Amino acid sequence: MKRFAWVASLLVVCFWVAGCASGPKFADISSSFQTLQPNQGRIYIYRTAVLGAAIQPEVSLNGEVIGKAVPEGFFYADRMPGNYEILTSTEVDRKLSLTLNSGQVRYVRLDISIGFFVGHVYPVLVEDEIGKKEIQECKYVTYEKPPAEPQKKEPGETIK
Amino acid sequence: MQSTHLQHAIREGCPNMATFPCEKRSLLKPGAGILLLMILLLNGCAFDVIRVRQEPCKMEKDEAASRSFRLGKKTEITLDTGYTRTLKEGARWDFVGVIPQGDVFKTSDQVFTIEGSNIFEAYIVVSSGKLVGFYLPVENSFSPLSEPLPLEMNELNDVQSVDERGSR
Repeated sequence: MKRFAWVASLLVVCFWVAGCASGPKFADISSSFQTLQPNQGRIYIYRTAVLGAAIQPEVSLNGEVIGKAVPEGFFYADRMPGNYEILTSTEVDRKLSLTLNSGQVRYVRLDISIGFFVGHVYPVLVEDEIGKKEIQECKYVTYEKPPAEPQKKEPGETIK
Repeated sequence: MQSTHLQHAIREGCPNMATFPCEKRSLLKPGAGILLLMILLLNGCAFDVIRVRQEPCKMEKDEAASRSFRLGKKTEITLDTGYTRTLKEGARWDFVGVIPQGDVFKTSDQVFTIEGSNIFEAYIVVSSGKLVGFYLPVENSFSPLSEPLPLEMNELNDVQSVDERGSR
């Protein structure tokens, strides 16, 4: 029985660790990020919550997927000033709308709440001071877009 | 006796006469199962029903009417969705435009959002010294507050637009 408990605990820890981000910490890597262009703003998106580690929905910015909600992970996007919508989808969609000005840096935290079948990940706009502090221990996660499906070739069409 | 047993078994719908009285095969009757399913579905939908009331509107920018105020005291707001928000004491709010419901003010001193199932960055809308609702700049809409809230507004003379003060 003791052995079973030990193995179960080990498995839980393995799943826990596997679900978390593994890149370099913000504090170590942020200085190497590209300097923000004067005509752009930056949005940092991060997740501190480890609860519900298996739930890692994609995060989209104005319809474009830019990352995943990895526990203890962060990523960022530089964009032109304007209006933006950040969306996460689990069993429901959760949206945050925000404005972005030139030179402005905004911090968006991905929180988790109880869902019906799975937890809900939702984006929250936080104060700069809070964002700057909380993101320090988060690890940089990159997002690779899935390869685009090959276009169907029409009969008789030559490949250019 | 045997005949009575058989009739009873047939009436109860027992498939195996020999083992009557038979065990119930399902813990739930079909009606109860459907009811449970409906409750579960409705419960699932409930996650998405807290909507922020919005009325489409267009904000007119009135440069001549530029003014600002500093909030005299912390103001707690209970949104119609049930969520609460706080306007910080001492935060500076700058006039950014007008909508039919009132004057629109924006701050750089705090992040301000309103929340239902989704979250929206918001500016405050003031009419006759009262907070009457919120302007959502991304959605170009007005979200009313069912009970207008008096604000302690200390007018500022050093009129300077939000843009001039720079972004956060």
